[in-house]
Amino acid sequence: MLLTLIRRELLDNLMTFRFAAAVLIMLLLVVANTAVLIKDYERRLAAYNTALKTHHQQLWERKTYSGGKLDIARPPNPLSIFNVGLDKQLESETWISHSYVPTLWDADMLGTTNPLLNLFSSIDIVFIFEIVLSLIALIFAYDALAGERERGTLRLVLTHSVSRGQILLAKYISAMICLLVPLLMSLLLAMILLMTSVTISLSLGDFLRIGGIIFSSISYLSVFYLIGMLISAATTRTGTALMLAMFVWGFSVLVYPNVVIAAIAPPQTSQAGMVSTFNQIKQIWEELDRERKHFLANDPVPGEDPSFGMVRSGFAYEYFYEDASVLYYHYGAGAHVLELNEESEPQVPHAQDYYRFLVPRSVDAAERTWLVRKTALDTVFVQPAIVDRILLRFSPVGMYDAATQAWAGTDLSGLRDFFEAARKYRRTVIDYYYDKNAFGSRQWFSADKEMVDWDNLPRFSFQKSDARINAERALPDLLLLLIMNLLLFIVILLVFQRSEV
Amino acid sequence: MIWHIAKRELYDNLNNLRFVLAIMLLIGLMITNAIVYLREHPTRVQQYRSSATESLEVLKARTDLYDIALNGPGDLYKQPASLRFCADGGESFLSEFVDGGYWMWGYGDGFRDFWLLNYPTSNPNLLNIRPDVTKVDWVFIFGYVLSLLALLFTFDSVSGERERGTLRLMLANSIPRHTVLFGKFLGALISLCIPTVIAILINLLVISTSSAVHLNNEAWKRLGVIIAVALVYIFLFLALGLLVSARVRRSSVSLVILLLTWVIFVVFVPGTVASITSGLSSPISSDELRKRQNQLHNEILEAYIDRTGGDETPERTLGRSEYIMKQMEQQERLRREHLDQQITQVQQARAVTRVSPAAILQHSLEAFAGTGFARHLQFLENVQRYAREYREFVENTDRSDPESLHLIGVPEGMSKKPVSPEAIPKFEDTLSLGKDFNTAAIDLLLLTLFVIVLLSAAYLAFVRVEV
Repeated sequence: MLLTLIRRELLDNLMTFRFAAAVLIMLLLVVANTAVLIKDYERRLAAYNTALKTHHQQLWERKTYSGGKLDIARPPNPLSIFNVGLDKQLESETWISHSYVPTLWDADMLGTTNPLLNLFSSIDIVFIFEIVLSLIALIFAYDALAGERERGTLRLVLTHSVSRGQILLAKYISAMICLLVPLLMSLLLAMILLMTSVTISLSLGDFLRIGGIIFSSISYLSVFYLIGMLISAATTRTGTALMLAMFVWGFSVLVYPNVVIAAIAPPQTSQAGMVSTFNQIKQIWEELDRERKHFLANDPVPGEDPSFGMVRSGFAYEYFYEDASVLYYHYGAGAHVLELNEESEPQVPHAQDYYRFLVPRSVDAAERTWLVRKTALDTVFVQPAIVDRILLRFSPVGMYDAATQAWAGTDLSGLRDFFEAARKYRRTVIDYYYDKNAFGSRQWFSADKEMVDWDNLPRFSFQKSDARINAERALPDLLLLLIMNLLLFIVILLVFQRSEV
Repeated sequence: MIWHIAKRELYDNLNNLRFVLAIMLLIGLMITNAIVYLREHPTRVQQYRSSATESLEVLKARTDLYDIALNGPGDLYKQPASLRFCADGGESFLSEFVDGGYWMWGYGDGFRDFWLLNYPTSNPNLLNIRPDVTKVDWVFIFGYVLSLLALLFTFDSVSGERERGTLRLMLANSIPRHTVLFGKFLGALISLCIPTVIAILINLLVISTSSAVHLNNEAWKRLGVIIAVALVYIFLFLALGLLVSARVRRSSVSLVILLLTWVIFVVFVPGTVASITSGLSSPISSDELRKRQNQLHNEILEAYIDRTGGDETPERTLGRSEYIMKQMEQQERLRREHLDQQITQVQQARAVTRVSPAAILQHSLEAFAGTGFARHLQFLENVQRYAREYREFVENTDRSDPESLHLIGVPEGMSKKPVSPEAIPKFEDTLSLGKDFNTAAIDLLLLTLFVIVLLSAAYLAFVRVEV
């Protein structure tokens, strides 16, 4: 019996104008935008590759270890085509050194050609689904029950020995099958476009993530179909059902997400808190400076000259750079000696002792600074974003967006992975320095005798997190969507059972 | 008779669920808009004032002409628009200042280069990791919500009556068809205008009762224009609704067509078309620009190398002065050209987005509110005009001193007389309504054209309709 019902509904749905329109529009929008997005991705990838080359070249030009400021870049995420998230918004190039650990707020943009283009909204595949899928689902659902009731066919069906639950299930299944057609067809075309691009290579993990995105899309679609069905079950006239459905759509898709973010003010960052944190960071470095001076005062060479009176060609530097708005405080010191004269030779061991003393301490200070900064910046910048995300979850759009971002790896945690990888890489580099005994070596500050060894330095490469981790991050929102589905279905069942035909 | 029909439509609508929902939605949105504006605008103005005064103080403290000519006027700030609640214009993506005290350094040529105008290239919205959403401004409320409501108010106005059979009844009387159509148009318009006007009044009431913001006379004039443009925009969607409703037999089909058209033209066309068009041209990246700057610097240095180095002779001073001025001019031109490329790219994309009425509304509302891209161009123009004035001032002051060698660019070639701080031109960012009319003229024309075409199409469709 269920099968007969499904077949009937399916035929009813497939032959309608709305079905043809839905398929056509989805295909049109997805194909046009995917082509644009692929081109944009290719441009960003090219910028990334150029950056890698330049970074490599710049590293080779450095003749001392102390000059080893290592630039690192984040490759663009191919899945940003599905949900761009923060992939383009946050910058993708940063650097590390022994005395510096970067955070999310110390990066540069790679290969920007025109910042003014941010004025136009970028449309990714998930955004199209968010708007169009929900609309189509409601258009399919609003007359599912109200329409049959109006025409009197519902009464006819119920005279047979079918339970009301079966009718609902049949309607749900057949409509979902119909709605899946435009969704899967457009995704298929998008995938074909992705495959034809030479520059995009998708791994097995990527396919799993895309599978996750598709599953989230289906759950999202189903939520809106069930909302439409609930409205249809609760109203007697299709006209009213349609009007209500449209208002629900407009409110939950267009109005609520924008209004809630605008209306909730970001909590005022306490200036005093920022200042005290900044002072804390300053203290770390001032303490280092005191230790440094103490060392210089107590070593066998008189005076506090960090270059130990070496007469040389080349340059030495020492600088502080601060930016209180992002709690940035950086102390850099190093030297680049090209040639030493004979008289300076006896001073070299002293300089080596000095750096052997100083550098490990600045490595340590940089790490402590990072800890302080990260905690402070998280409360200032990340907390509001998390609160926003929670508020957005009151609309299915918010859940869907968060889930797909997590799958694609373009959410905040995905980007944090990059900075975490940068921090780990810095540790690797420092271990490498220890292996080479670089801090106490002549090559730390001088390029005259032996060459520095950049050949064996491990390279930085950013590996995206495992698909499993993406799944874990997407799970809360996905579960919310599924629970919402279940709840809606139960409510519809209750409403429909009690309704008079 | 028109009034009779309009009145009937109006009563129909007023008793309807959609009227209640529309009024609640619009009022809610407008109140949010006002609250957000009152929260953000005062801090914006304060920030502008403090940073502009800061720049001015630095400028006033200078008395030496060489110092003035060397360092430039400092950062030049864009005045925040008091009508930002009407159109946000993506201001958070546009830089709020132009660096008018930038000097090239690190070339190691031994010369102290003069200031030049430098346009910030990075995106000022960088620290923002909050979810990316559309701002709830009047552009959003009119462009998205009100247009959708207009469709919801008209989709069944003809097809619904035909379905119920009342259309036949009405046309049996001796009423010409166009009277019926315009009656329906008016009825829908009035029933849509009631919630809109109430919402706008509440919005303006909240804003004007606050002491933190003061709207001047011109702002009210601009508000009038903005509301008029929004009205024309609503005409367009009402006409579209009537057209489809007259052409299509069933109202559910009519609504499906209208909604899908709306989604495509209002939500997707602006973004999609803009990305496609902007993909056609690609300005050089900032890294490439830096490379070209270095290259240009070296070329000029090469050309002047014989005439600048060595001892202090009048010839060398002349050479040095020429070198520095040339460096400044050419470097600034390079930056300007780069900026122009970027602007052209955006302008092309904006021109094509005019196929969407929502984009037209956005452009014209931005123009009258004094925000967004067109306003940014005005600001850049103001800055450039001021930079010229500033340099002319240096030249004229120098020329008026008979003891000076009139060689601008080197300290020994310039006037040593102290300059009074009052005489230095001050930067003031201005807005004018007349200019904004010019920028929005084509948009307004297009919008009117759309309305006329759709209205006549609706008329034709209704005249030919079989009852």
